[in-house]
Amino acid sequence: MKTLQRILGPLLLALATLLTLFPVYWLVTLSLKREVDQFAVPPIWLRFTPTLAHYYDIFFVRSFGAYLAHSVVVAGVSTLLALAIGSLAAYSLARFPRPGLAFWILSNRMFPPIVSVIPLLLMLRWAKLLNSLAALIVVYTAFNLPFVVWMMRSFFEEIPVDLEEAAMMDGQTRLGALWRVVLPLVRPGLAATAAFCLVIGWNEFLFAFLVAQTDAAMTLPVGIAGRVTQYEIKWGAMSAAGVVAMLPVFAFAAAMQKHLVRGLSLGAVKG
Amino acid sequence: MRIRLDNLNKRFGSTPVLRDFSLETAAGEFLVLLGPSGCGKTTCLRTVAGLERPDSGRVFLDDTDVTHAEPRDRDMAMVFQSYALYPHLNVYENIAFPLLVRKLAAGYVEKRVRQAAERLGLAGLLQRRPRELSGGQRQRVALARAIVRQPNAFLFDEPLSNLDAKLRLEMRGELKRLQHELGVTSLYVTHDQAEAMTLGRRLAVMKDGELEQLGSPEEVYSRPASLFVAGFLGSPAMNLLPGRVDAAARCFVSGEIVVPLDADPLGRLGAAASITLGIRPENIELARTPGEGWLPGRVYVCESMGNENLIVIAAGGAHLSCRAAPEMRFDFESSVWFRFRPGCLHFFDTSTTRALWP
Repeated sequence: MKTLQRILGPLLLALATLLTLFPVYWLVTLSLKREVDQFAVPPIWLRFTPTLAHYYDIFFVRSFGAYLAHSVVVAGVSTLLALAIGSLAAYSLARFPRPGLAFWILSNRMFPPIVSVIPLLLMLRWAKLLNSLAALIVVYTAFNLPFVVWMMRSFFEEIPVDLEEAAMMDGQTRLGALWRVVLPLVRPGLAATAAFCLVIGWNEFLFAFLVAQTDAAMTLPVGIAGRVTQYEIKWGAMSAAGVVAMLPVFAFAAAMQKHLVRGLSLGAVKG
Repeated sequence: MRIRLDNLNKRFGSTPVLRDFSLETAAGEFLVLLGPSGCGKTTCLRTVAGLERPDSGRVFLDDTDVTHAEPRDRDMAMVFQSYALYPHLNVYENIAFPLLVRKLAAGYVEKRVRQAAERLGLAGLLQRRPRELSGGQRQRVALARAIVRQPNAFLFDEPLSNLDAKLRLEMRGELKRLQHELGVTSLYVTHDQAEAMTLGRRLAVMKDGELEQLGSPEEVYSRPASLFVAGFLGSPAMNLLPGRVDAAARCFVSGEIVVPLDADPLGRLGAAASITLGIRPENIELARTPGEGWLPGRVYVCESMGNENLIVIAAGGAHLSCRAAPEMRFDFESSVWFRFRPGCLHFFDTSTTRALWP
């Protein structure tokens, strides 16, 4: 039994790793292959002539640099906004509970997002925000808020009330106690929640596709999909853009790894 | 600073926690709120702190009404049962916290923190985080955080109850000394009667949100105002025998136990129909041989404590706890004679529970 475990465990791990990494490998190699090599049969696994033509194409022929900047701004700002507003709401719910209110907030995440598309479009048109980054920031913030509130509430509930009361006895206001004592203690929770919001904002396609159709506010996912044209599919350019889109998320996850593991497991205990 | 509570009322839902509760401390006094769990003593303390708002009634600091003041405007220092140390700050930062909030000069903060840490033997631990400290050390950090400034009052919420027995005894003495040196008005909540007796200049015994008795530890112990106070203080507790007074025979009767009475208590007991006699375990005399006016009993259990023996005797259907000298050792069921030391009797009206005598 023991030996079986010793062999089977690593084997399963290797299999899982392979399954996870294979698409990444395929994407990266595709982005570096000349078009003639892309779909050669049998596939050319490693010994192809590498080229940066596709990267040149997306950055200098197409404006993927701008799309990348848009994605960074939209995902980043909407995450910060959702965290700031949502944390305050979550703190209030944790300390002054109203039965059912938290669930009602979460239930706003339960309808299919596409249901809200038409009213949202009408509202954004009225506000003259169509085809702007602001539109996407507002929409993403709104859609991330219920999630932030729900997650942060369980983090706040784990902080003993005594600590805030001690801070208030020591001369802080309630907001001061929140800022100096409570927020430093829920940092892992903030990091985990921020990661979720960032990934959702970064990958979002539906609203970005409908709300921001011009180059003024186009984000990476829409830009990548735009390489599927009426006459051809630009596999190389799409792959190159995919790699570019993946890198920031990788970097963020690596930087946050310590917090993420703690944050995710903390939230899982209660909630 | 004097703390004055004026007719406080507080409910949690439909449960009344404080009922017309009034209390006033002297300036610099160490006053202990004592009572069983759920008697409202912690709520009372939190109301003084400003962490709870009373439904009605007022809180005064000297002559200033602070009923609606925020905790930070009352400038009191509180020591929590859980210590409530800030886990992300080290010991130095924890102690300095109340001073840094007030934006005091860095040099002054440093001096005060070092003094407080020195006073509580924490000088070598300033760089540690709370989780790296033992329970006793955490307790000391919580105290240091309280004494680092000169607050209007100290509020203690069962600060010793999370310590082990030996440490608790040590810190109890330390606390008393500290309060004596600083002379700051202190309110101390506990359910531990030993802490209450040793620390308090006065005790306020609470029950069901009401003040049962207020007085010095000696007064409360020797002249309990009610059946509740009589049964709550003392270990073992006071023996309480329900019965009635036979005025013609000039005696108190509880089943087969008959106690002759002097004229003095007799005059005061006349009015009440049913009466409870109270006698402390140390005021029951025991003998192996009968004597004039002594009552017979049987030894139910005899426990040796080393410096004294705790003996429970069965007499006339009742069980009586007694303290006796270490050489008074008995077997189970052995015969024993006892009498109540004259002048040490307490009498309570059974229906109102209030003391009639002394």
